[in-house]
Amino acid sequence: MLQHKTPYFSILLLFFVVACSSSTNPDETTNFDRAAMLENYGNNIILPAFEDMQSAVNELQTAADNFKTERTTGQLENLQTTLKQSRLAWQNVSPFQFGPAESVLLRASLNTYPTDTDKISENIESGDYSMESISNQDAAGLPALDYLLHGVGGTNEEILAAYTTDPNAQNRLDYLLENINYIKSKVDKATSEWQTSGGDYIGMFLSEDNAGTDVGSSLGMLINSYVMHYERFLRDGKIGIPAGVRSAGTPRPVTVEAYYGGYSAELAVANFEQVERIFTGGNSRGLDDNLEALNAGDLADEIQTQIDETKTALEALNDPLSQQIEENKDPVLTVFEEMQQVVTLVKADMTSILGITITYQDNDGD
Amino acid sequence: MIPEAIKKHISGQVSIAPLAVFRFLFGFIMLVSVLRFAANGWIYELYVKPDYFFTFYGFDWVTPLGETGMYLLFLGMGLAAISIMLGYYYRLGITFFFLAFTYVELIDKTNYLNHYYFVSIISFLLTFVPANRYFSLDVLRNPSLKREKVPAWTINIFKLQLGLVYFFAGAAKLHPDWLLNAMPMRIWLPANADLPIIGSLLEYTSTAYIFSWAGALYDLTIAFFLLWKPTRIFAYLTVIIFHLMTYALFQIGMFPFIMILSTLIFFSADFHQKIIITLSKLANHLPFNFRTSSSCRKEEWKLNKNGTTLIAGILGIHFILQLLLPLRFALYPGNLFWTEQGYRFSWRVMLMEKAGHTTFTVTNPKTNKQWQVQNYNYLTPNQEKMMATQPDMILQFAHFLEEEYQKQGITDVKVTAESYVTLNGRRSQPMVNPNINLTKKERGFAHKEWILPFNENQQNWFRNLQE
Repeated sequence: MLQHKTPYFSILLLFFVVACSSSTNPDETTNFDRAAMLENYGNNIILPAFEDMQSAVNELQTAADNFKTERTTGQLENLQTTLKQSRLAWQNVSPFQFGPAESVLLRASLNTYPTDTDKISENIESGDYSMESISNQDAAGLPALDYLLHGVGGTNEEILAAYTTDPNAQNRLDYLLENINYIKSKVDKATSEWQTSGGDYIGMFLSEDNAGTDVGSSLGMLINSYVMHYERFLRDGKIGIPAGVRSAGTPRPVTVEAYYGGYSAELAVANFEQVERIFTGGNSRGLDDNLEALNAGDLADEIQTQIDETKTALEALNDPLSQQIEENKDPVLTVFEEMQQVVTLVKADMTSILGITITYQDNDGD
Repeated sequence: MIPEAIKKHISGQVSIAPLAVFRFLFGFIMLVSVLRFAANGWIYELYVKPDYFFTFYGFDWVTPLGETGMYLLFLGMGLAAISIMLGYYYRLGITFFFLAFTYVELIDKTNYLNHYYFVSIISFLLTFVPANRYFSLDVLRNPSLKREKVPAWTINIFKLQLGLVYFFAGAAKLHPDWLLNAMPMRIWLPANADLPIIGSLLEYTSTAYIFSWAGALYDLTIAFFLLWKPTRIFAYLTVIIFHLMTYALFQIGMFPFIMILSTLIFFSADFHQKIIITLSKLANHLPFNFRTSSSCRKEEWKLNKNGTTLIAGILGIHFILQLLLPLRFALYPGNLFWTEQGYRFSWRVMLMEKAGHTTFTVTNPKTNKQWQVQNYNYLTPNQEKMMATQPDMILQFAHFLEEEYQKQGITDVKVTAESYVTLNGRRSQPMVNPNINLTKKERGFAHKEWILPFNENQQNWFRNLQE
């Protein structure tokens, strides 16, 4: 029966010979070190973002303690400044809602807005609330601080009065401090989970097992979280929803990110810069280099061009953004449109070229 | 009428062993599949959690049965799989399994998989054959059921079905993108470059070409090599290597194992008898045994005349449909991968890397106000991803949006879709005509003239991708 085996073996042999010959004679190889790219993301972008957030929140807490002992407009202004620093630091963390951040519900706990001012006032008056409960998310976190430090009075003198002469002054201060403690505990937990000294999630993130592109892989999680953040929480949350794109064309300026503090556009710019940093990998290997290695350099260039155009449009917006929307929302809608084009390129073209899977389900390739 | 040579393969009496083993293995792998599905939390994830489901045209009445209902249905499927495996009240088990599995499959297009379709077909065919008349608990309960011989068709329909699946899967690969551009392998293989040993090889373009051509060759020829005794054992080794490779490289689920076990049916009756003896020895440790050696009163299983006519008719229609369905794409103009008209139920497996992004714009004609829809408020990420590349799902979702706004009192809205889709590494381009009001377009099997052409001339298929 030997004559029948021969074709089988020759086919199989041919298969391996050709496969091996290609290794000694490189034809065209992507030869991209994905692990090195992930290391750049983990060590130079993600972990520093969490650590910066942690120190910003520590300063916020120090400022709040000082305000507690010395209730002056000076200390109030200092507290307002540290809040802004925390909110800016948050912009660099928010695209990374996977792993530790996801398990402590970091985004929902820290940045659910618009904040429910009635609920906050009710909590302060009754003292009957649980800061950590899911139902209290829209009365806690950074947006609640925004209201407590900028929205409880028209001027800083009036705001100060809410913490000194107002009948609920002590309750209000307690609520403020408890909210900051709550923010700090969440940030500390997520940060230490990432750190080598803590839960060492970074070790898992950079491990060889997770260097692929399948669902549980580090790159898969990063990109999915990144794309989802960009679409829902930057494009829609910070720009589209306030401009009325999602409410039958009726603007809702009250829904901007820092309505009372009035620096919404500044936060959006900071967040967009982080989005860009994630694409370029900062000064080192990033997704753009990965695309180039996969012969999709023109796609990388086009994404970069679109990012630049979006940034220009975004930087042209004026704070307070809520006022800009009320006066002339066209530039805001322009930003939305520009951001939309980035979504298509990143969500469809880029993930497709990188071979990223977005689901745990079985798949037979469409 | 029918020549003797062919008749032999239909009504000639052959050993029942291959059929009994096939039944046992199918039940076993289905039990594993159901358990895996439940353990992954997919019952909840796919059939309880979503608010909206993309039904199949003509099957809009198929809806999830609620949380308890879905869990019970899967429990029933698991029990039915055991019933099939052990041949215990087999007729009831296989009928329930076929109906329940197909029902679940029809709930949401998003989850369509060729391998689910394959399971539906195999369980359908299994309802017609006496697979429980040997090596089963039914025979133990009622020894008069036992048979040692069955007509050849009861085994050959499975070989034919498997052959069709492989052959059409291979024919679908005879496509310029697959053969000349090595797409989508050129995207999928480098994505696995982190795998040990073979990882670095996957980065070479030539590897993608080898995989593409070898895959096409395998699918087109494997059934013939399995049929022919001299090559059978080598062909089966290739089956194992091929499917384990796809298992290692792609997120393809149970399919490789289902195929590895199913293709055993091509082996001889003696081989299957050995399997049964081995399994029976294992079963001796159980409180009951299959006592396969006991003789039976009637050796052969035969149908009466009416039953023969009925089953012959049903199977005839089934196989004619099996031959025609994969070819129906030829009736539609345009590029099949782009329009996906005639793509499903055709064994087109792992043929394209398609991704997209669709934005729906709603216009209220009374106020002339326009707004965009947040797809993610209604759909899971996976539903959104699947919809973005499939025109029929885009249309369904547009109709759903129309109903949603009707509920809110906004009647007669206009819904348009801007959809950008990338196919096999090409740059994304619009797939749906963005000026068409989709609420005015009917669902159905007619050609969707509102899909924009993939390219002006088909020559572009032959151009090399960006160098």
